[in-house]
Order: sequence, then C-alpha cells, then structure tokens
Amino acid sequence: MDKHRYLGWASAAIPAGLFAWFAAQLPTIAAGAKLSYTINWLPTLGLQTGFSLDGLSLLFALLITGIGALVLIYAGYYFTPHNATQPATQPFSEARFFAYILLFMVCMLGVVTAGDVITLFIFWEGTSIVSFLLVAYKYKDAEARRGATKALIITGGGGVALLAGLLMLANVAGSTQFSAIFAQAALVKASPLYPVMLGLVALGAFTKSAQFPAHHWLPNAMSAPTPASAYLHSATMVKAGIYLMARLFPALGGSELWFGLLVSAGFITMILGAVKGFFQQDLKAVLAYSTISQLGVLMMLIGWGSSAAMKALAVGTIAHALYKGAMFLMAGIVDHSAHTRDLGALRTLGLRKYMPLTFAATILPALSMAGLPPLLGFLGKETLLAAIEEAHGGLIVMVFGAILAGAFTLAQAAMLLFDTFSRASHPKSHSSEAANHAHAAKYSDPPFGFLIGPALLGALSLVLAFDWLLEAGPITTLVGSAAKAAYGDKVKVNLALFQGFNLPLLMSAIAIAIGLGIARYRHRLRTKFGSLWLLQPVRMDALYRGFMRSLELGAKQATGLQNGSIRTYLSLMFIGFGALTLWFGAWRWPAIANPFLIETQPLQALRVFSLLLAVAAALASVLARRDLTAIIALGASGLGVALVIALEPSPDVALVQIIVDILTTVILVMAMDRLPAKMRDAAYKIERQEHILTRLRHLAIAGGAGLFMFMVCLNALSGRPRNSIVTPFYEQQSKPLTGAADIVGAIVVDFRGFDTMIEITVFGVAGAAIYSLLRYATQKHGDDLEDADEVAPIAAQPAAPKLETSSRVISTRGIGGRVPSALVQLAAQAILPASIIVAFVHMLYGHDQPGDGFTAGVIVAIAIGLMVLAYGRIDTFKRLRWLRPGYLIGSGWLVVMMGSLAPIVWGQVFFSPFDFSVATGLDRFLPVGASISTSFLFEIAICLTVIGSASWMLQTFAREPAKITD
Amino acid sequence: MDIIISFAIAVLFATGIYQLLRRNVVRSALGLVIISNAINLFLLAIGAYDGTVQSYAKAIGVRSDALPLALILTAIVISMGGFAFTFAMLYIVMRRYKTADIDAITELKN
Repeated sequence: MDKHRYLGWASAAIPAGLFAWFAAQLPTIAAGAKLSYTINWLPTLGLQTGFSLDGLSLLFALLITGIGALVLIYAGYYFTPHNATQPATQPFSEARFFAYILLFMVCMLGVVTAGDVITLFIFWEGTSIVSFLLVAYKYKDAEARRGATKALIITGGGGVALLAGLLMLANVAGSTQFSAIFAQAALVKASPLYPVMLGLVALGAFTKSAQFPAHHWLPNAMSAPTPASAYLHSATMVKAGIYLMARLFPALGGSELWFGLLVSAGFITMILGAVKGFFQQDLKAVLAYSTISQLGVLMMLIGWGSSAAMKALAVGTIAHALYKGAMFLMAGIVDHSAHTRDLGALRTLGLRKYMPLTFAATILPALSMAGLPPLLGFLGKETLLAAIEEAHGGLIVMVFGAILAGAFTLAQAAMLLFDTFSRASHPKSHSSEAANHAHAAKYSDPPFGFLIGPALLGALSLVLAFDWLLEAGPITTLVGSAAKAAYGDKVKVNLALFQGFNLPLLMSAIAIAIGLGIARYRHRLRTKFGSLWLLQPVRMDALYRGFMRSLELGAKQATGLQNGSIRTYLSLMFIGFGALTLWFGAWRWPAIANPFLIETQPLQALRVFSLLLAVAAALASVLARRDLTAIIALGASGLGVALVIALEPSPDVALVQIIVDILTTVILVMAMDRLPAKMRDAAYKIERQEHILTRLRHLAIAGGAGLFMFMVCLNALSGRPRNSIVTPFYEQQSKPLTGAADIVGAIVVDFRGFDTMIEITVFGVAGAAIYSLLRYATQKHGDDLEDADEVAPIAAQPAAPKLETSSRVISTRGIGGRVPSALVQLAAQAILPASIIVAFVHMLYGHDQPGDGFTAGVIVAIAIGLMVLAYGRIDTFKRLRWLRPGYLIGSGWLVVMMGSLAPIVWGQVFFSPFDFSVATGLDRFLPVGASISTSFLFEIAICLTVIGSASWMLQTFAREPAKITD
Repeated sequence: MDIIISFAIAVLFATGIYQLLRRNVVRSALGLVIISNAINLFLLAIGAYDGTVQSYAKAIGVRSDALPLALILTAIVISMGGFAFTFAMLYIVMRRYKTADIDAITELKN
C-alpha cells in the first residue's frame, strides 16, 4: 500500500477544516459584517498588515479550501501507481507535492483575504513562486522547466507592474488599507496618475489571469502534475487576477478606461480561448484554452461593472471552478490510466467500456461546461448573457461574441466527453476480441477515492444549481454578498433556472444550437481548419521568445563590463561611490571661519607628531621593498594611531589599539613566514613591471578617495554638535547604575553589554572560521599549506633538545624548524605567566581603571604568540595543555550567559549590572576597588573568548615546524 | 586642528585604497588595516571636542565624548577579527593558486 494515499487524506484535513470554518462565517458575512484583523507592521511608515474577510473574499476562500481538500485527496491517488505494470514509488517520494499545494493554499488564501495592498502583493508573489515550483515539478523534463520559467517570468513581470501600480494607488489614496482606498475612490479616479496605475494593476491581473496577449503561459504550464493544474491553473490561482480586479473595482472601476481595457482584453481572450481550444489535440491543452476563455468572460464582466455583471461574475466563478476542476481531475485519471492525453489516440481506445465509472463522473461536469440546463454552468451562461443584454449600449458584437464562445465551449465539452471515452465509429486495428481483453486488463476504473474529487465536484454542479429552491440558499447568499462586495452596493440575486422566456434564454438556445452543430461536425472542422495560420501556437510565443532573446543579449552586454579583474571592480566601486556621494552634496566647503587656524593646545606638537608618524609609516608600508618591512611599517602606523588615541586621552582605547596592533603584526609575520618567498618576489616583480599609466590611474583613484574622505571629515568635524544627547546620560549614570568610574568600560560591558556579547561571539566565530578554513577546507582541496620554502634540511641543524612531558616526546623546534635561542625560550616561559597576572589585574580593576577584557585577552594572546615563536606551533599547544581555543571561546560565552542570567536570582532583570560580592557579603574579603560583579564576569568572558580566538589564529597562521624526524 | 586631522585621515585612507588596488595580494591585505585605522581615527576625531579632559575622569565636565571611544574600542577588536578572517581567505587563495598576483587569479571569471 502506497503511503501517498494516507498523505493525501491526512493533508486534506487542513483545508477541509478551513473550509468548514469559512462556511460557518457565511451567515455573519451575509449579514453585512466584515471580519478583519490588523497588525501594526511599521507604524512609523504608516504601514499595516492584516486580513479582512468579506463576501468576495469568502467566495474565493471557500473555493480555495474546498477544491484544495478534494485535490489533495485526489493527489494521494494520483501519485500511486495505478496497476502492477508501473514501477512502485518510494513511500513519501512525492511528499514535496503535498507541501507545495499546502504552501500554495496559504499564499492564495492570503491573496483573497488580504486587507491591504502590501499583504496582497506579498501573497500574490508567493502564488507565482509556488506555481513555478509546481509547473517545474518534473524538473528533469526540459519542457516542464521551460514552461515553469515562462510562467514565472510572465506572471512575475506582471507582479512587478502590479507592485508599482498598487504603490501608486496607495500613495494617491493615502493608505494601503483597502477600506481607506475605497473611501478615496473619487480622489483616485481624479488623479493624473490614474491611467498609469490602472494600466499597471491591469497588467499584473492580466498576466496572472492569462488574458490576451499574455495568455500563452497557461498552456505551457500544463506540464505540472494534473492535480496542480486543476487546482492552480484552473480553479484558483489564475482567478487571482479576476479577484484583484473585482476587489479594486470600487476604487478604480467604472471609468471609460476601465471599461475599454478590461472588456476588450476579456472579449479577445474569451473568443481566442474558445476557438483555439477547439483545435487542440491534448486533453489538458483543450482544458487550458477553455479556462483562458472563461477567464476572459470573467474579466469582461468586471470591465462591465454593472450589478448584473458582478452577479454573473460570482456565479461564473463558482460554476467554472466546479466543472473545470472536475474535468481536469478526470483528465488526470485518464492520463494515469491510459498514459496518453492525445485525443486522437484516446479515440482509438474506447475507454468508456473499461472505465464506466470515470465516464459517468465526467458527464455532469461536461454538461455544466457545455452550459446546458439544469446545471450551474447554464446558470453561469444565463447570468452572463443577462448582464450583456441588460447593458443596452448596442454592443451587438458582444452578444455575438458571447454566443460564439458559448457554442465553441459546448463543442469543447463534447470533445472532452466523447472523444476521450468513446471509440471512433470505424475502428481499424483494435477490433479483435484479444485486443479488448488486453485493454480490459490494462485500463480500468481507478479506486473509488480517486474518483471522489471529480464526482463530488460534478454532483455539486448539479445540486447547487437548485439552490434557488431554498429560501436564501447558501449559493444565493454567497453570490449576493460577493457581488455586493465587488459592486460596492446591494445586488439583487435570483438564481432560478427558468426565469421566463426572455432574451438571455433565446441567446442561450442559439448558442446551444450552434454549439451542437459544431460538435456534430467537430472532426471535419478540426481537420479542415486546424492548420490555419492564426491557430498555430507559435504566434504569441514568438513575442515571449523575442523578449527573452533581447534580455539575454542585454545581459551579455552588461556582463561584458565584468572582465574578471578584481582590481577593476574595486576601482569602479570606489569611483561610483565617490561620484554618488559627491553628487548628493558632500562637495561643499564647511562653514567655518578660518579652517587653517590651528588652536594651540597642550601637547599639540606631540599630537601632530603622532599623526605624522601614522601617516608616514603607512606610506612607508606602500613603498617598502620587502613584505616584512611593510608589515613592520604598518605596525608602526598603528602605534601612531594609538598615540593619537592616548593623547586624547583615552587610555582604554589606546591600550587596546596598541596590543591589537602588535597581535596583528605578529600574526602577519607568522603568516609571511609560511608564504613562499619566491611567490612573494614574483608578485613584487610583476608589480614593478606594471605600466606607469596603470599606476597613475590607481594613484588618481586613491587620491580621489582621499580627497573625498578629506571633505567628509572636514564637514563632519566642523559641523559636529558640541553637545551629545546620549553621552551625558552615560556620564551621570555610569557610577550610580553600574558602579564604574570608567565610562568607556561601563558602556562596553554594562550599557551596551548585549552588543559586546555579540561582538565576542563574532570574534570567536572569526577564529573558528579561520581555523576550520585553513585546517579542513584546504585539506579537502589538497592545498599544500606546509613546507612553504625550501627550509634548510633538518639534519643540518643541531639536534633538537628533547623534553619528556607525560611520557610524550616533544622535540622543541621553533619557526622554520630552527632551534630558537634558549634565551628567547626562557623569556617566553617567563612572560606567559606574567601576562596572565597582568591580564587578571586588568580585569579586576578594569571597572575603575584603564584596561578591560579585550586588553587582558590580547595580552595573554601575545604571550602565547611568543611561545609559538619560541617553541613552534605544535610544541606550544602540547606544552600548554589548558590552551583549548574551542573550549575557551565556549566557556567565555557561557560565562557571559551565566553572569547575565544570575541577577535574576536576586530579582534583577537579564543583563542588568549586579555586584555579587556585595550581595553575598564577600566584598569584605576582596582587595580595595575589586569586586565580583557582572562586569567582572563579563571582562573574564571577553578575555577567555579573545584568548581562544586569537590562539586559534596563531595556531593556524604559524608555520608547522619542519617534519620531525624521530 | 580639524584640518590637520582631516588631512591625516584622508592620506591614511588614500594610502589604504592605493594598497588595496595593488596587484600584490599581501599588500592589498595591508591596505585593509590602514583603512580601518583611518576610520577609527575619524570616529575618535568626531568625539574629541576639546581633547583636554580624560574620558574616564571622575569629574563631569568638558571632555571627550565617551560613546565614540567605546565604539572604537569595539571596532578595533572587530576589525582585527575581520582582518584576520579576510587574510585567511587571501592566504588560502594564494596557496591554492600558487601566486600572490591578484590578476593571475581569474577562475571566477565566467
């Protein structure tokens, strides 16, 4: 037993439940109430999101959930092999499909219940995306991929237009809420932007609802699994455009432009779909075109915009969803069983004999599609004709069009019913008894559950048509409230099947008569006119292909800029950035009296000197011949910056700058040692040979960037406010709130503690990323990270002294495999414990004195760096058993969390500053000025994380000692 | 003073950009450090009103703004982590393509 059936039944419970809920809302909605739910999304921008349910929404919601449930049950059977000849599927191999359908249902429900344009648009795009996934469901099939892409590009392109149109609408009306927009309808229609926004919105709706000339994506989308076609591309999604236009009718509708645009598009689509569908060979293609035709009808009705038209819209939507859904599901069953959807091939089989139940289930929807009484389809056609007739604008062409479309639709229904199931009158090859037996074994009625969907939909087409017999029957109520919501006023609804001998009945009769005629001679007509130029499927496709080709050409032109040179990209970025900033007004001389005035301050000379040092050293790092020199110069430049900071004076920051600068230098030097000198020399030589013009160009870009920075700085510095708004708070509150005299420290660990926690996380992640990148990613690629240079052979060195620690032999070799001086080793051994003490003191008194967790951590890390230099990477980590970077980072983080959570025990909130030593009475035993507070714990955490991350960096960048021979 | 520090920042920034545009990957990497130094100096200058009183002084009065200083403190550490990570990537690239010439690495093209 295949699991898909269970999956189908189980997942159908969700839409079925929703259907029941929506159905229960019908009396409330019919009474004129509107359910809505609004969330303030971005109140400062006046944006809200929310849902609202009125008659129109309810109609669509019921269709979506009701048909959704049936489609899901059906899909469970659809993905189960029909008989033993087909290969068994994996259990749940098609579970993806059910997820997509449910996802789609969410999007679609979102569209029809959206209370504002933004929400509507988001869900609208969602339906396009899920439709793409479903059409491309059999993604190994190139045709399916092509169809999916086409559908996505057309509906997605329409979506962009829709967004623009909706935003204009919201802008003019002053609100994104539908209710508010409707209230401003007069303003909207008077706006000069009205034609533009209507055009854009209509473009979105037309592409979605497959209106001419964007209709051709729909037949291509038939490569989706049939349940999806039935659900998305017939019953629900393609009606989103219809829903949208009906929804916006109160705001945008009623103008000449509205009438002309929608009626003409709908009319052409109606005729085109009806006629083209008649000439299709593929079962699903016939259905697709007849869907297009019906969508045209609905669009036309909205364009019409009278109360009768809105009534016809509601009836037509229900009728079409019911019969077309059923017909699609039937097509899926036939395809599933006969493995063909070709009408010519099916005619040779005579499936009626083998699949009588399926045939029987098809009769009702086919009759409804044909528009014959007493079915819902008839009511749909009747109300349509009544709406056309009512408007005595003398549009006789509309009457003829509607009759013609009705006739062709009837002929299509006949094709679908008879050509699919009945055998051609003169069977040639399959007449023998043996063939009959073979067919009987091969084709048979599907299991009952497979038929539930089409049978129920067909039965509803019949039963619901008798709704008028009831006093205020559900359909009458639903149609009434839906039409009222779309029309904006009360709509009289009488859905009696027989309303007396009137013009619509006559027109209906004519249509049926012509239709029967066409159906009678359908084979002859199809063969005779089938090859007409106009009916060829390529016509409209050429438009799409032309567009795609020009898009590709344009892309090729645009990507021609990307020549692969990173430096070109960087140059372009800097130039573009600079130009844009200048364009927007950075280029102005600041309003200061005498910019060249240099105030005399204490230590001014020293300040200028340190700036000079920073700049000169940076320039030296450019000019230096050797990389090592450049790195040292860079370090000097960083120290210059530190000096400026120290003169500020800001000893905290200066300390951090100094030690971070040293750590950077250490890491760079270590890494340089591992890069082959040859390689670096080669790069240097290449750079020397660079053309003078290239260099001048770079100089110009750099100069421009400098100039730009100069202007920005000067403007910012001369125009800065002298009184900060935030800082006084910190200054006044740091002592009372956190007990810290050092404001900077208080900001880092207390006021902005959460920030700092994230920061140390980032720093830890950086260390971990570096470690894993260099240790694992490169190993996977077989990158040769070791033996960078031809190191002098190990044997030529004096034998390394061996050290016995815990029965493991450690051979002490430093950088480059050379034995370092014993003095350096001794110094390293001595400095590490000293550094830890210094770090601890830093943390203990960090609250009131300069120095903090960062400083402490980096100091220890530098001492570890010295160890690495003296003993080599492997030995260092063998000697320092406590040095586990991962654990250090993790425990640092843990300490932050525990320290921040602990105050909760004393009734404080998360991350509040708290002194544990005072709370527990331990402060008497602590040295003066020291305390065990959350800040202290935080400093420890920072320190641990920084040590961990930095030692991972050291471990990664330091050279592996040359192969140890013992 | 404003003009001097502006000029210093501008030169540092330009130097960093020039380094970044070089063919030599190692030098490009150094450019990143110079740029972040320039930016930190800028932040410092923004908060330095008079530059006379220490920020952690117990007396409240005219002083440098403590907030930019706290930001710089964070920025220094973060930019060090970021730089180390960037350098690790460049390092891998250099080792994998066996060259420090950025124009010789064209595998991403097309």
